Amino acid sequence: MGNPSNIQNLLASIGPVGAEDILSLDPTDKQEGYRELEAWVDGSLDMYRPEFRPILFPIFCHFYLDLIQRGLKDAAVKFYSSFASSLAASHSAILHHISTLLLPAHVQNDEIAQRFRDEKYVVRMSRSGFGLLVGWLTEGVGGEAFGAGDGFTGELGKRGRVSVMRVVNNHLRFDVTSSNTTSVSPNSWEESTGLLSSLIPRANVNNPQAFNVSRGDLKLGPAPLPDELRAETQRVLREQALVDRDPIAQYDVQVTRQVIPGVVNPAESDLLPHPPAFRTLDVEREANHVRDARKRIRLEPSLLVNMDPNSTQAAAVKSRALPSICAYTLHDVPEGAPCCTFSPDTSMMAAGFAESYIRLWSLKGEKLRGLRSDFTSTSIKDSSSLRKIREKGGSITRKLIGHSGPVYSVAFDPLSGSAAAPKYLLSSSADATARLWSMETMTNIVAYRGHENPVWDVKWSPLGIYFATGSRDRTARLWSTDRISCLRVYAGHLSDVDCVQFHPNSLYLATGSSDWTARLWDVQRGSCVRVFIGHQGAVSSLAMSPDGRYLASAGEDLAINLWDLGSGKRIKKMTGHTSSIYSLAFSAESSLLVSGGADWTVRCWDVKSAGGSRQKPRENGNSSFMSMGLATGEPSATPLSYGDEENMETVDLLATFPTKRTPITNVQFTPRNLCLVAGNYLSPVV
Amino acid sequence: MNPDNGKKRPTAQTGVYKPESIKDVADSLNLPNISDTVASALASDVEYRIHQVIEEAARFMRHGRRTIMTTADIEQALRVLNIEPLYGHSSHNPPTFKRALPFPNAPAAGSVYFVEDEEIDFDRVLREERTTLPKGVSWTAHWLAVEGVQPLIPENPPAIPKELPPADVKPTLTNGVTAAATPTTPALVATKKQEQQLQQQQQLVKQVLSRELQLYYTRLTSSLLPPGSDLTKRDAALASLRSDAGLQALLPYLIKWVGDGVVRGLKDGGMSEMDGRILDVLISVTGALLSNSTLFVEPYLHQMLPPILSTLLHSSLPPTHATLLRTSAAQTLSRLLTEHSTTYPSLSPRIMKTLLLALISPGKSSGTRQGAIRGLVGIGKEAIRKGLVEGGGAKVVGSECSDDTSLVNAVLDALRVLRVPADMVDSLDVTNTDDLAVLVELKVILGDFFADLVAEDAGWARTILGANSAS
Repeated sequence: MGNPSNIQNLLASIGPVGAEDILSLDPTDKQEGYRELEAWVDGSLDMYRPEFRPILFPIFCHFYLDLIQRGLKDAAVKFYSSFASSLAASHSAILHHISTLLLPAHVQNDEIAQRFRDEKYVVRMSRSGFGLLVGWLTEGVGGEAFGAGDGFTGELGKRGRVSVMRVVNNHLRFDVTSSNTTSVSPNSWEESTGLLSSLIPRANVNNPQAFNVSRGDLKLGPAPLPDELRAETQRVLREQALVDRDPIAQYDVQVTRQVIPGVVNPAESDLLPHPPAFRTLDVEREANHVRDARKRIRLEPSLLVNMDPNSTQAAAVKSRALPSICAYTLHDVPEGAPCCTFSPDTSMMAAGFAESYIRLWSLKGEKLRGLRSDFTSTSIKDSSSLRKIREKGGSITRKLIGHSGPVYSVAFDPLSGSAAAPKYLLSSSADATARLWSMETMTNIVAYRGHENPVWDVKWSPLGIYFATGSRDRTARLWSTDRISCLRVYAGHLSDVDCVQFHPNSLYLATGSSDWTARLWDVQRGSCVRVFIGHQGAVSSLAMSPDGRYLASAGEDLAINLWDLGSGKRIKKMTGHTSSIYSLAFSAESSLLVSGGADWTVRCWDVKSAGGSRQKPRENGNSSFMSMGLATGEPSATPLSYGDEENMETVDLLATFPTKRTPITNVQFTPRNLCLVAGNYLSPVV
Repeated sequence: MNPDNGKKRPTAQTGVYKPESIKDVADSLNLPNISDTVASALASDVEYRIHQVIEEAARFMRHGRRTIMTTADIEQALRVLNIEPLYGHSSHNPPTFKRALPFPNAPAAGSVYFVEDEEIDFDRVLREERTTLPKGVSWTAHWLAVEGVQPLIPENPPAIPKELPPADVKPTLTNGVTAAATPTTPALVATKKQEQQLQQQQQLVKQVLSRELQLYYTRLTSSLLPPGSDLTKRDAALASLRSDAGLQALLPYLIKWVGDGVVRGLKDGGMSEMDGRILDVLISVTGALLSNSTLFVEPYLHQMLPPILSTLLHSSLPPTHATLLRTSAAQTLSRLLTEHSTTYPSLSPRIMKTLLLALISPGKSSGTRQGAIRGLVGIGKEAIRKGLVEGGGAKVVGSECSDDTSLVNAVLDALRVLRVPADMVDSLDVTNTDDLAVLVELKVILGDFFADLVAEDAGWARTILGANSAS
């Protein structure tokens, strides 16, 4: 026949793929298909809209990636510019990331793009909603507002729907819940959705809930106290009570470890190995625990529930519900202080600086004097001769130099508790090391190397000796202070481990990551026991409730999620912060959560209340009116209501305390429930 | 990269890194003829790499707890991405790019950006700039919240004003008339108070004195002091203070003027006659301010009280004016308390405590004691009873300074306030057992000296005692 060569080329290229794929090369059908889908979602009934909206995002991403992969950069850029704005409110990070992919080679190499390609994107949907979606995909009708369907029946509309359907078939997985549409709160459609399969450690389980259930029950009770230590502590407390002539003094150690029904207490054998003999320090710590528990300021935020915040009764109750907060502000910080912490006995404050050093302050005004290194060991016989080799002079602040990169985290050792000043300080830095500093000699004793990348966070185990680090190399590691190599590597996160936090009984370690998940690890076994999926951004901070039952996580989506550790389910989502959240802390009763962040505020949240948005449910009449307007083709009005909901303050936000210009980098409670916050003052830009 | 794809589309670009820049770079590397397709593809790739670095740097920014990215973040990002860092950039002086003037001979070149090299004149720098070593990092602590309430201290930001309805709505609500109606209709006291408070608030916000008021202030103060120049002028000034409206804005200045004047008058000995006259005028001014009904003095009471009390209780007043000054100060104090003790219930007890201390603490001069007694008289019967009778003031005076007649008279005057006026005066009869008991009790309470004096009037003595035992 003598076909022209270009047709032969065309035929050759058809070979493996179907004719339909060739047709889909036309970029306009993607544009059209997405436009129709968006119109259909926005035109759907108000009750379905929250569950339909999440499907727009994966389809948008796949269309964009398809266009780029085919080399249709201009069409892709046009597609992006016309539709991205309505999704930007909730997905800005990923959207920005994929907008930087402009060549097929980028799509091939980019991690997120590959995850979109290889993994199924999970969308939660109710049965009826799913039925409506299938109806629209196949028939082009169902669910949309009256008069809106006319344009969909054309050839172009059909091709568009086909391309949507292709993405739905190949890349989406629907998690169809049996629960009724109305019984699910609009915010919870995002929980356990997204590119899940690689986030869940086990290959054959594709639902985080199923995974969490499959890992069995956790032992969330308080760590047991060795019998001898307990007996000795009680003896000390009893003697103290006699000396003070205080017959009502509590000397039962158990008072700090109340039993919560339904929580399994770990046995002593479950704990990490600790030295068999206890020391005076341990007794003092435990005795002080009991004293602190007695002298604690009780905070009962539940009293504020159902009260008008401006009424006079509320003002009276506030003092019993909300904490006193003492703010420590750092001044004249040139490049920023990424971290700051207080010792448990509040005698010292440490801050790590971008200029690679750590600074210590004595908050009691005592001079920080280290031990000299030039001494003869034979001359030391008792404590007074030990005192003699302390440095002369000294000042109330001390610079610790050793790191070679910004210091991202500092932590005082918890062993002496509130009874005495801490003996050690841990720090982690961009130079990929964690360092142990002695507070006796004021020097660096050990540099723990093992991470290959900046170490973002370091935390002591609540029982001391062990500590955990989280790094950019996507692992968290467990260390013991007396070994220079790590004991366990917790691998599984798909991106940086941004924060780590031990469970109060030190059996579990929680990690928060830039892959938007938080995980709970069995410290000893090194296996992941819970996955918490629900944040729409990197997890920036974690806190565990002292009663051991809850995990609070703050994300770059400006939300704080509260998780039930036992079931792995999200209890609620708390929103209200307007910028990154840097630090979280629970009160000693686990009833109040305090958060601090880059919006220069400290906020108090009620842990026990149900939460939810302040807004009353919208009227149905209103929404249908709106959908009529939308269906006639005004895409500009679309994202308004959706975006607004994201920044709403939920009802469990009890109080907001603004500072002048101080981003709060650390929030913590003293053992007696006084809240301490710290941050560095930003002088106004001149 | 498939060049076929590149050919299909024009070189239209949207990114920040333009293909032209690629060509410029290629030129600089001696690769003159680079095709549009390659340039465009490379530009896209460069842009992607830049974004990669920036995304990485954003992590360092986030962990550095900052919201502004610095060159240090970029450097850290390049380091972890295993790229050679860009040297010479520090966050202290980020380079600013400038656009060059377009080249007329090569319009195709487009706009060219460059980093300007700042020329530093060493001579000038060495001569002028004094580099001060920055202060080290320091910290301050303050209460961000006390039991859930944010204290209004300078360290905390000012409270966000609650969205109150506009001020002009309020009278509408209280009066129940439309907003158009003028508030000059029988105005309620509450409305007036509100207005005054509003006025007060506005003054807190901005204190601007009109030229007229400034002139008035100068004329007023110059006609009052130095005293003795022109009595009619002084009386006119005091009368103006007593009755003229519109002096609210001057009130803080006048009060400060009085306070400073009293301090000055008392500090340098306070013994000359001139000082006495000055103090007299100042007390009169305070009295005039208090009696002006158009002034809202309540916020300034704490500033008005010290001058009055100082005059009243100062140990050494000019002898010529001492009694007069103490009496007028006591009267002024009395007026202040009668008018404002209802708003500040704790005011009278507090002042009474001050006076009582001055009266009974050992070693006070007789002048101070006399002032304290006059002050107590000014406060009222209850204060006399508390101070002289129950507090033992009379006893102290009787035992320590019974030879000072003016002081004794002052005490008797004060005690006489308690007396019920009676037609018949009979003294206590020592032989009568009842009367004897009264006398003994009287001696216990008032001390021997005053008991004897009071004993001359049995009714008086009984009232003093009766009041005492009743209370």
